[in-house]
Amino acid sequence: MNIRRATVRAVLWRGVLFALLWWALTDGRPGSWGVGGVSVALATAASLALLPPVGTCVSRIGLVRFLVFFFVQSLRGGVQVAAFALRPRPGLRPGFHDIALRLPAGLGRILLANTLSLLPGTLSVELDGDRLCLHVLDETAPTEREVRVVEDRLAHMLGLELDTTA
Amino acid sequence: MSLAELLGDALLVAGAAFFFAGTVGLLRFPDVYTRLHALAKADNLGLGLIVLGLLLHAPGWATGIKLVLIWLLALAASATVGFLIARRARRHGIAPWRAGDGE
Repeated sequence: MNIRRATVRAVLWRGVLFALLWWALTDGRPGSWGVGGVSVALATAASLALLPPVGTCVSRIGLVRFLVFFFVQSLRGGVQVAAFALRPRPGLRPGFHDIALRLPAGLGRILLANTLSLLPGTLSVELDGDRLCLHVLDETAPTEREVRVVEDRLAHMLGLELDTTA
Repeated sequence: MSLAELLGDALLVAGAAFFFAGTVGLLRFPDVYTRLHALAKADNLGLGLIVLGLLLHAPGWATGIKLVLIWLLALAASATVGFLIARRARRHGIAPWRAGDGE
């Protein structure tokens, strides 16, 4: 997809999303669309400046698969932390874990770091280039394998190439 | 009371239980890193369940979208703040608690 088409698509999609947001915030009051139209246009312009379209589009199947994965893992993460907290002896075995990322720089890596902080047993501590430092609740858990799974899902959702030489 | 409202109430109670567990973790865990784990995960799941419960009580789509938005914004804030606190702690040389250090 060339950049011009990608920009048109991005303007349309983001415009629709911001309009939906305005509709929800104002409970669909018809009198509010004068201010709303200007706000939607400005918000779309700001989003294009802050996050320019890259020419790949978000895969819808990828998005649904990522969301389902995220919900299931969130449930696991919450239950795990609750179990550690409520046990008579928590039995934590924490430590740091360094991982070389395969995702390209940019949105993908930031989403990965934030997602991992919300998933079971991992907390992002430092993101420096392609190195991600995690704090883990259990050193003996297969952390790297779980990170690779999240990377695969994010790459599929965002249409990104993974650097498999890393 | 309808089935949806009953299920909504059950989800609210479950969400509160996870917030409680997260708070216990915050008080009991041994260092800043493990405490951040407790906060981030409890926020995520506890608030998620509460938002789900409220969705079943929501009067319309506009309210529902607002509720989901609250959850997403809270998730982004909790992940980002957790990351920033942990990074600051590590750069200040705060060593993580290790198993066997005593509690």
